[in-house]
Amino acid sequence: MPQCQVKFMPENRIIEVESGTSLLKAASKAGIYIKSSCGGKGSCGACKVLVISGEPQVEGTGNLSPEQLSQGVRLACKTFVQSDVTVEVPPESRLQEHQVLMGDVQKGLLKETEEDMMEKFGHDPLAVKVRVQLSEPTLTENASDWSRLSMELKKVLHAGAKPIQIPLTVLQTLPETLRQANWDVSVTLTVMESGYTVTHVAKGNDIPPYGLAIDIGTTTVVVYLVNLLTGEIVDKQGTYNKQAKFGDDVISRIVYAVESPENLQEIHQAVIDTVNDLTDKIISRQNLNFNDLAVAMTAGNTTMTQLLLGVDPRYVRLEPYIPTMNDVPSVPARQIGLHILPEGLVHSFPSVASYVGGDIVSGTLVTDMANGEDIVLFIDIGTNGEIVLGNQDWLVSCACSAGPCFEGGGITFGMRAMPGAIERVKIDPETLDVNLKVVGRIPPVGICGSGLVDCLAKLREAGIIDRAGNFQLEHPSQSARLRATADDKEFVLAWAHQSGGEKDVVITENDVKNLIRAKGAIYAGIRSLLTMVAVDIEMISRIVIAGGFGNYLNVHDSVQIGLLPDLPEDKFQFIGNSSVKGARLALLSQNAWKEAADLGHKMTYIELSVGTTFMDEFVSALFLPHTDLSLFPSVQG
Amino acid sequence: MPVTLVKEKYPSKVGEVVLGATAAEGGTRTSVIRVGGDGTLPFLQFEGSVENRPIIAMEVTDIVPPWNDTIKEQFGDVLGNPVAMAKKCVEEFGADAIYLKLIGADPEGENRSPEQCAQVVKDVLAAVGVPLIVVGCEDPEKDNEVMAAVAEAAAGENLLIGLAEQDNYKSITAAAMVHKHNVIARSPLDINICKQLNILINEMGLPLNKIVIDPMIGGLGFGIEYAYSIMERARLGALAGDKMLSMPMICTVGYEANRAKEANVGAGEFPGWGELQDRGILWEAVTAAALLQVGASILLMRNPASVRLVQRNIADMMEQNA
Repeated sequence: MPQCQVKFMPENRIIEVESGTSLLKAASKAGIYIKSSCGGKGSCGACKVLVISGEPQVEGTGNLSPEQLSQGVRLACKTFVQSDVTVEVPPESRLQEHQVLMGDVQKGLLKETEEDMMEKFGHDPLAVKVRVQLSEPTLTENASDWSRLSMELKKVLHAGAKPIQIPLTVLQTLPETLRQANWDVSVTLTVMESGYTVTHVAKGNDIPPYGLAIDIGTTTVVVYLVNLLTGEIVDKQGTYNKQAKFGDDVISRIVYAVESPENLQEIHQAVIDTVNDLTDKIISRQNLNFNDLAVAMTAGNTTMTQLLLGVDPRYVRLEPYIPTMNDVPSVPARQIGLHILPEGLVHSFPSVASYVGGDIVSGTLVTDMANGEDIVLFIDIGTNGEIVLGNQDWLVSCACSAGPCFEGGGITFGMRAMPGAIERVKIDPETLDVNLKVVGRIPPVGICGSGLVDCLAKLREAGIIDRAGNFQLEHPSQSARLRATADDKEFVLAWAHQSGGEKDVVITENDVKNLIRAKGAIYAGIRSLLTMVAVDIEMISRIVIAGGFGNYLNVHDSVQIGLLPDLPEDKFQFIGNSSVKGARLALLSQNAWKEAADLGHKMTYIELSVGTTFMDEFVSALFLPHTDLSLFPSVQG
Repeated sequence: MPVTLVKEKYPSKVGEVVLGATAAEGGTRTSVIRVGGDGTLPFLQFEGSVENRPIIAMEVTDIVPPWNDTIKEQFGDVLGNPVAMAKKCVEEFGADAIYLKLIGADPEGENRSPEQCAQVVKDVLAAVGVPLIVVGCEDPEKDNEVMAAVAEAAAGENLLIGLAEQDNYKSITAAAMVHKHNVIARSPLDINICKQLNILINEMGLPLNKIVIDPMIGGLGFGIEYAYSIMERARLGALAGDKMLSMPMICTVGYEANRAKEANVGAGEFPGWGELQDRGILWEAVTAAALLQVGASILLMRNPASVRLVQRNIADMMEQNA
C-alpha cells in the first residue's frame, strides 16, 4: 500500500498513513480527536472536516447539504485518503476538554455530603513499601539473596505465616539491585489476603507508595493519585474516554469491538492509552516515576471493565445479556500495559450483571448503605440510570436505559457540560423572557443535562408546555420565542446574536418528548424496584445521587418534572463521582476491598425487561410529573 | 348448606354526570339524564349502590349515512333529515338520547359550514326533548370550528360534546366551559392517556363531573377484549378512589360493531355465517351487552333492532338482586 501524507490544520501536523485510511483514523493517529457519535457509520454527521487540498475518496456524505459539499465539507469517517491531502478540523468537530466530574462538587449549586469512610474501614492499603537494610552475605552467612530479603521482610511486615512471593521478573534483577544499593533497599509489595508479593526492589529511598484510583466511565475517565501511606489524594486528572471515537454508548462500542480481533485490541488499547495519558500527566507533574505507583484500582461498568482487560464483550449485548465475569481477576499491570509497576496489581471492582457494573458497586460502597437498617436509594444517572435499593440485610439493583438525553444526546442543542453549555434556565412566566447560566460564562452554544431538567420544569411552569409535553403556541405572552417550524414546535432559549454559534439555541417539542421519556425511564426504574420489594417510597430514609449529571442537579426542578421521587429535600445527598471515590477507599483498606467483593455478591439484579411492571410504570411516568399525581403531592398544578 | 356470598367493599364510586338541562336549568329539555354514580361493579346491587341505569343514545346523522341497507331500511325516508330521524329514534325506537354526528361538515365531503351545522343542532333540539350528544366529522381542525359554533348555538342545553383528544383538547374544552356543556374525552385504549387527558382537561378549569370517558373500543371479534380490560381497569380505579378515572364511560358501539365484515356481508358470500339480517343485529347487540358488563354508561347505537334487544338486556340486568 502506498503511503500518503495527511496534513491537519490548524495544527499543521503531518502524518503518514496508508492509502485507503479514513480521515477519522488518520486524525486519531495524529493525536487529533474528532467526535464520532455513531462510531464511524457515517450517520451522525459529527465528524465534519474541511478538505483544503487533495482528492480523498468519498464513500458517504450522510446528512451534509449540497452547499456544505461544494465548500469541501466531508465526513471524516467516510472519506478515505488516496493521495496527499490537507484537512482542517473545525472546533465543533473536536472532542473538547470538558467538565469531567472529578469527585467534588462545584460550590453554590449543591452541597455534597462528604463521606469519610476511612475511619470505619481502617487504614490497611493494598500495597506497601518498606525500607530494609540487609546484612551483606559472607562465606559463613551464605543464605541466598531472596532468602536474605524475604527473612527481613517477614520480620518488618510481621507477616507471620503469610507467604511472601517474588515474581520472576523481579528476581531477575534482584542480585544487581541489592549490591548496587549496598543492601539498603526499598521494597514494594502488594498485599492480599493470601499473602505478599514483591513487586519492586529499588535503592533505598523514602518516597511513599502511591496507588491509582481510576473511574472508567463510558464518556469520561478520572484518575486519582493516592498516597497509600497517608490516604491523601495527591493529584487528580480527568479526560474523555478515547473510546468515544468508536461510539458514544456501550452498545456501539461493543458492536465495534466484536467486529474483529483487531477492533477489540484497538478499543482495549484506547482505554489503556486514556488512563496512561492521565497517569503520565500526573506523575510528571508530581515528579514521580511509574515505579512509584504500586497498585491500581479501577471501577467501571461491565463493558468498560471487560474492554479494559481485553475480554470480548459481545454477550453483554445479546439476550440473555451475560457478562463474561462478575468477579474480575487482579492482574499484573504489565499484562495490560498500564503505566504503573509492571508487577503491580490492577484490581477491578466486581460487577453485578451486564448493566450493573463495578462503578455501581463502588458507589454502593461509598454510600455505606449496606451497613445500617435505614433503607437507602442510590441512583447513578448517566446514559443508563443504575439504581440500587436496600440496607444491611438486602440490596436490589436494576438498570434502566434512560438514553443519552441527560448527557446531551438526542437533543437538538444537547451537549455535555462543557464551556458554552446552558446549565440553569429561568423563564419569566408572563413575558417568556429567558435568563441563562452558562458553563464558563461564555455565550451559549447548547444545553447540558442539568440545564435540560431546569428547562423542562420552567417550560411547564410558564405554561409553554402542558403536562404531556405539548407546546402551547397560543401562550398569552405572544412571545416570538415560542414558534412553529416546518415539522416541529420550538422555544428559543438564546437568539443567534446572543449565542456562541450561528443559530438560535432552541428546545423543540421533540426534545421535550425525549426528555420526558428519559426521566420517565429513571422514575419507572425506581418505582419498579420499590414495587418488587414492596417498599413504600416514604420508607426510604436517604436518596443518594451520583454521576456526572447528579452533581449539578436541582432537586426541586427534578421533583417538579417527576425525575426524582417527591421526598423532602433534606433526604437527598449528592456524592459526585462515587465510582472513583469507592476505588480510593478500596485502595486504602483491605476491609473496604473485601466489602466491595461482598457487595458484588450480595446485590440482587432485577432485569426490568422481564415482566410488565417496568413498562406499566414507564408509560405512567410519561407525564409531568406523573399520571398518578398523588405520587407528587408537593407539585402544584 | 347455605352459601354466603363474598362481598367486596369499595371506598369510592363512579362520578355522576348530568346530560341536558330543563327550562328551569336554562335549557329546553323535557327531562335530564344522569349517568354513572355507581358504587360497585356493574349491576352488582348486592355489593353496592347502582344509581343510574345505562342509557342508549341513537346515532343520527345530518346527511345520509354510509350504512348498510339492513339498517337503512329500518329508517326509511327519514335518512338525510336529522330532525325526522331524531324524532323517529325517540318516538318509535325509544332512544334515551340522541347522538348527533355532523358528518356533513367533512371538508372532503359536503364541507358544510359551522353555522349550517349549528343550525342542524338547533333544529334537532327543537324537535326532541331528550338530551343531545354532538360530535363533528373527525377532522380535528374542522371540528374545532364546528363544535365551537355548536356549543355557542346550544348554550345552556348542557350537551355532551366531543371529541377532546390528547393532541386536541383545548378548543373543545374551552367551548364547553364557556357555554356550559359536558365533554367526551377520548383516549386510544390506553389507561394512562385516558387519565392524563382527564387531568389536562380538568386543569383547564372544566370540573370532573363534566367529563365522560370514551376509552375507544373494538367491536365484537375486533379487539373487544382490549376494550373490556381497559374499561375494567378504569372502573376499578374509580371505585378505588382515583378521581381522574372516575368518570362514566361512553362507547361507540354502533360504529365499531358495524365496521366488522360480519355485520355487512350477506350469507351468499359466507353460507356458514347465516343471514346478514340476524347477524348484523346480533353483532351490535352482543358488542353492547359485553360492554355493559364492564361498566359502559352510555351506549352509542345504530341498528334499531339491536337497540330493542339491548333495551331488554338493560332492563333484565337492572332487576333488583341485592
